[in-house]
Amino acid sequence: MRLKKGFITHESEGEQILVSSDTKAFSGLVRSNSTAAFIVNQLKSDTTIGQIVDAMAMEYDAPRDVMEKDVAKIVDQLVSIGALEGEVR
Amino acid sequence: MEEIKFVVKLAGVPIGVAALYGSTRQFCREYLTKETPVFSVCITAGDIALERQKADSVNCYSDAYLETLALYRKIAAGLLEYDTLLFHGSVVAVDGSAYLFTAKSGTGKSTHTRLWRELFGSRAVMVNDDKPLLKVTKDGAVAYGTPWNGKHRLSTNVAVLLKAVCILERDESTHIAPVAAREAWPVLMQQSIRPSDPVKLKQVMCLIDGLSANVKLYRMGCNMDLSAAKIAYEGMQ
Repeated sequence: MRLKKGFITHESEGEQILVSSDTKAFSGLVRSNSTAAFIVNQLKSDTTIGQIVDAMAMEYDAPRDVMEKDVAKIVDQLVSIGALEGEVR
Repeated sequence: MEEIKFVVKLAGVPIGVAALYGSTRQFCREYLTKETPVFSVCITAGDIALERQKADSVNCYSDAYLETLALYRKIAAGLLEYDTLLFHGSVVAVDGSAYLFTAKSGTGKSTHTRLWRELFGSRAVMVNDDKPLLKVTKDGAVAYGTPWNGKHRLSTNVAVLLKAVCILERDESTHIAPVAAREAWPVLMQQSIRPSDPVKLKQVMCLIDGLSANVKLYRMGCNMDLSAAKIAYEGMQ
């Protein structure tokens, strides 16, 4: 799975903002803190939940099951706004 | 079809235009220049067809009208290189300072700036009633008149320092208060041009950062009484 083409991120005042270039697809905006932004950034190329958690483990000192939950939550949110393409796994 | 060529000066930038309809040149007549263009845009039948797809399907627009929309879209994409943003709102200037009211269509932006003209008379100048250009700098923003000025065709070929951006909502009473950049940001994004090119979309977001950081921002609930204009003006001093 990966972010669909047309979903663009922007850093503003310490937060990441995600928007779509096609407002018919998604007209809103997603604000992410640094952890969520890390996950969104991983999704800029094709990846899996397991691979994202692996990347997080290099960056953050947190239990794997907590990180898995974090990733699943962000992925769910991105799926709900139609921002991901490919198989969600 | 013979190309119609002219140079239009918008937000201080001379832009070469190759269009298909003579009416487009006429539409731009108050902004024509003899200066050498710094960039050029060309409208094709394909651009007009694309504009028809984007337009609502209820109304049947002429190709000549759709060409003006296609032209502004292309010009606005080019002007991002010049830190200039196409923004949706009604801009009125009083005593040399511009005030921009933005809101979803139908909220009453134009109605509110009409109240300003009633209140201030000749002190109030309509910069642009619908789609002004905003040149964003580190010191603030300058609002420019353009031919794309809404259904009442209200605009003036001027450049005025933007004193405030006000997000307008309808309410039974009128009240205005400053709003933080973070809170205003999504509305500013919603009301800005949305290029399909990711690089240009990033430029738009950088300009919104500049606009929200360097121009005073307000949120106003307002009714349609003349007093709403006075409360708005005083609230932004």
